[in-house]
Amino acid sequence: MTTIYRPISDPLEFDTFGCHPFENDPATPDRTNRQVFLRRQVADWNVDMKDGSQLQFWGFKDPDVSGSDSPWPSKLIRVKQGQVFHCEFKPTKGAHTIHWHGIEPTPMNDGVGHTSFEVKSSYVYQWCAHQAGTYLYHCHKNTVLHFEMGMYGVLIVDPLTKSPDTNNPNYLYDPLPRDEVSDITPGAPYSAESILVFDDVDPVWHKLDHNAGMCGDDVGLDKFNPTYFLINGVHNGRTQTDSRTVTRMTAGRNLMLRVANASYSRLHITLPFNCYIVEVDGRPLRTNRAKGWFSAPEFKAAGSRLEVAVAQRYGIWVPEVPRGDHRIIGNFHHWITNKRHFDGTAIAKIVAL
Amino acid sequence: MRRREFLKYGSAMAAFATVSTSLPAILSAQTSEDAPTGEEADFDLEIVDVDVELIDGSIVPMYAFAPTGKEPSIPGPILRVTQGDTVRIDIRNSSTRPHGFQIVGQTNAVVSGLAPADGDGEDKMRIEFVATKPGTYFYVDGDNSPINRVLGLHGALIVEPKNGYADGKNRKKPMPYAPGAATPAMKSLFTALGESTIDGEPARFPGKPWQKGREYVWIFNQIDPAMCRRIGGGELVTPAEFESQFHPRYFTINGLCGLDSAHDKATCPTGHAGEPALIRCMNAGLATHSPHIHGNHVFVLTESNKNGLPIYQTSLNEHDVWTMPPMMIKDVLLPYTAPPDVPPAPWKMVQEKYPLRYPMHCHNEISQTSAGGSYPMGLVTDWHIDGPVATS
Repeated sequence: MTTIYRPISDPLEFDTFGCHPFENDPATPDRTNRQVFLRRQVADWNVDMKDGSQLQFWGFKDPDVSGSDSPWPSKLIRVKQGQVFHCEFKPTKGAHTIHWHGIEPTPMNDGVGHTSFEVKSSYVYQWCAHQAGTYLYHCHKNTVLHFEMGMYGVLIVDPLTKSPDTNNPNYLYDPLPRDEVSDITPGAPYSAESILVFDDVDPVWHKLDHNAGMCGDDVGLDKFNPTYFLINGVHNGRTQTDSRTVTRMTAGRNLMLRVANASYSRLHITLPFNCYIVEVDGRPLRTNRAKGWFSAPEFKAAGSRLEVAVAQRYGIWVPEVPRGDHRIIGNFHHWITNKRHFDGTAIAKIVAL
Repeated sequence: MRRREFLKYGSAMAAFATVSTSLPAILSAQTSEDAPTGEEADFDLEIVDVDVELIDGSIVPMYAFAPTGKEPSIPGPILRVTQGDTVRIDIRNSSTRPHGFQIVGQTNAVVSGLAPADGDGEDKMRIEFVATKPGTYFYVDGDNSPINRVLGLHGALIVEPKNGYADGKNRKKPMPYAPGAATPAMKSLFTALGESTIDGEPARFPGKPWQKGREYVWIFNQIDPAMCRRIGGGELVTPAEFESQFHPRYFTINGLCGLDSAHDKATCPTGHAGEPALIRCMNAGLATHSPHIHGNHVFVLTESNKNGLPIYQTSLNEHDVWTMPPMMIKDVLLPYTAPPDVPPAPWKMVQEKYPLRYPMHCHNEISQTSAGGSYPMGLVTDWHIDGPVATS
């Protein structure tokens, strides 16, 4: 019988690819003047789960903000389009990185070990977002484990201008000359915002060492059996009452619903109102040939389902939200069988008064 | 003209064969471009039993396609034809088990229950069809589904357009689709590639238009070594049992894991800024993948429907993560722009290392493991920007 052999490779390369990535503290290459500066360090803490047990989580804390030691998701970062951003990262608990998910800087600032380096003790990341939208930031060391451990946060790039509509003063993106946007108001102006990050947790993984599995040892990272389902770190027994997952707003105004999937499941979201998908993965849906956009907003009737792939983000614009309680239902499905996980539902709420 | 056209996965400047009379295609709308080309594309394929060496050195039994008399591979060889071609594929089953063959999304392109060859040379089955809509299609062994497919019997059929130019008579902007059926957004995008200004405004894609052959194929699959060994050892596993017990431990792209796929020239896109590349993404396995690319977003151009036919997108959404459920096929355009979020400065930057190297990995991170752990063994590859904008 024929054998299909794997290609010959250099064991040293295997080592630096992921087993022992290069650790370093270089100066930021091509460093330029900044408009935004913030700091991040690595923290760990315990979280009370739905059944009363406690699990360890890891994340990024802001050393300049007191009480930010148990951040899950890690503290929201908001910058304006076009600002030069610097983040001084001092991991302090072994080497880590920050990958600015959806932002596209140089490889040195992309936070991926095998294509650049892992931060040993200190590094200043630099980038300048050219497009307003919804992004994430997360650790990209032993990502399999560190993303599950909670090392992520939401990153929002806001546009430069404000909407002239005083009831809906914020824009998702700057409307530009020659934009063609059917059905919606260009810029997608809104007054209220709901940011929802869905996640699932397998407690077995939360007892592992932070380098577990990096050198090919069998530590079970191919077995993910989530038993807890959460939104914004709130377990699904509380998501309809907790202030982190319930958004209160004035009825008749516009809502910007930003949804991200930080789980390892297929996430099916049911939308309770007529709405429009106006952004995917940090790119507004509009047509502007000179700017290289070739898309259009997508209408979703109340009751529609939307699948959000792992690490995708969607910006959903809800014009003139009707008075009442609106439940945004997230169902977590197994990534192979596509069956819904036991207890795999988490519901956030919009209350329009 | 009879030709046998096989290609390795990956970028290749390919100009190929093809045709005859156009048969009614039930699944796809006929266009004037489906008219016969007078060309024929002939392929001889063999199904064989193989042993496959995985990235950790372990060996598992699988099945593979091979051009008859040549080395087998997983995925099988690329079959490349032109729209309107009469495609004939002869299949011989040299495996020890019964098999079938099917082009998903093409009419008259199924055989099943093909018994193991007895060596008399008269035991080939033939399928014959007229290639219709340009795009990317799966060929698989559809028998015993999904077992034979997931155990290695899958590959890509690529249908190229007869006349793929976004700008019609000028013929300066090649496009991998027929202009008569492409959506306005697709034509507009391929027209914009290589323009430094549009309507007097600085444009986003200076450099070159897309060029025929500048493309890559990424086929994702998953391997459960225990299942492979049970089936290879002769145990009768039903499809229902296979699906319910499937526990993949290796996650492959073009049959390779992690370090190997990142180093595979056919898998790892390379080029200068301004050299857009088409990537034909396919998922032969049972897991739903979430491919995530760093450095550039991609434009999703096509998405296959449940019949395996490419649906041309009217809205070209840009994604850094796109979802790939089982048997999904998506053609995406990697625009190969300079990384857009580098602070304003002359480019190329002076202190950054070249080539600029970025990963593409599945963000359902379980797929980044193999045999229980390790990032460098998972569903990941790299892509490179070798330097500043290339001009024609």
